[in-house]
Amino acid sequence: MEETKERKIVVAVDESEESMEALSWSLDNLFPYGSNNTLILLYVKPPLPVYSSIDAAGFIVTGDPVAALNKYEHELVESVMARSQTVYQDFESDINIERRVGRGDAKEVICNAVQKLRADMLVIGTHDYGFFKRALLGSVSEYCAKRVKCPVIIVKKKAQNN
Amino acid sequence: METTTVMERKMVEKQPETTVEAETPSVTKMKRIMVAIDESDSSFYALQWVIDHFSSLLVTTLAEGGLLTVVHVQTPFQHFTAFPAGPGGATVYASSSMIEAVKKSQQEASTALLSRALQICRAKQIRTETLVLEGDAKDMICRAVEQMHVDLLAVGSRGLGKIKRAFIGSVSDYCAHHSKCPILIVKPPKEMTH
Repeated sequence: MEETKERKIVVAVDESEESMEALSWSLDNLFPYGSNNTLILLYVKPPLPVYSSIDAAGFIVTGDPVAALNKYEHELVESVMARSQTVYQDFESDINIERRVGRGDAKEVICNAVQKLRADMLVIGTHDYGFFKRALLGSVSEYCAKRVKCPVIIVKKKAQNN
Repeated sequence: METTTVMERKMVEKQPETTVEAETPSVTKMKRIMVAIDESDSSFYALQWVIDHFSSLLVTTLAEGGLLTVVHVQTPFQHFTAFPAGPGGATVYASSSMIEAVKKSQQEASTALLSRALQICRAKQIRTETLVLEGDAKDMICRAVEQMHVDLLAVGSRGLGKIKRAFIGSVSDYCAHHSKCPILIVKPPKEMTH
């Protein structure tokens, strides 16, 4: 049985609940006992807005807004990682989990990361977009599903069957 | 008057103390995986991929293992279309014998495909069932997913030739949008042209 093949599974997370669901789905289903798979948790930070040091009105922008932004961003990353941790903490002993943070346009970064890491699979959640719940995929998941060469699993929010 | 064994009833379900969101979603192991196949090689590639990766969940040796459903959708033959016939140009409607002949060949094609799929599955001891549906492929697949409470739908994806980047194939695209369960899209490796 060639079950010892190592597989790299990238799970893209963001601040949404759906991506946490995608993460827990992957942990439950993609890591059978005895497999040697690696979970790569990828979070993409939105790109930093660029501030020039002198704005249009001629005032010099001090370092404070930039520092505040950095702090906010840092907190955001921490909160997403903490939430992911509560999801995967039960599995930590059995699975290799790597955490990566990227910055920039989410869809591009995810596709590049999957390519660079030579991932075997990508798992991504999808946002529910109001009326069009079933008609639209999130733009990021759709883009990635089309662009990426490896198999993609798109996890949707489970309809409440109870 | 000794009490024999004390029955300990442990509350197995942990209630995590998340105050912000609702309970953490209890995602159970997959019980039912559906793979849609057609004549294309990429759908068989998808089937093979599912078997390779999820065999631990689907093997017959497991008492409570999952079930792999292989589905093939037949596009119905439009028997009420008129067929221009002969040099006279008079249109002829398909005769019942012709309809039957076409139906028969469709059945045969379906059976051949599904038996090919079954062979692949049996070789790896996968618990499988087959299903034939008639109608518009994308629609029927999504309906089947809903009715049969499928946990994961796997589809191949041919892509549409030159428009490679814009589409992943119309059936897989539609299913990705409309299916109610998680969907796995398997793309064939570059060597496969079809």
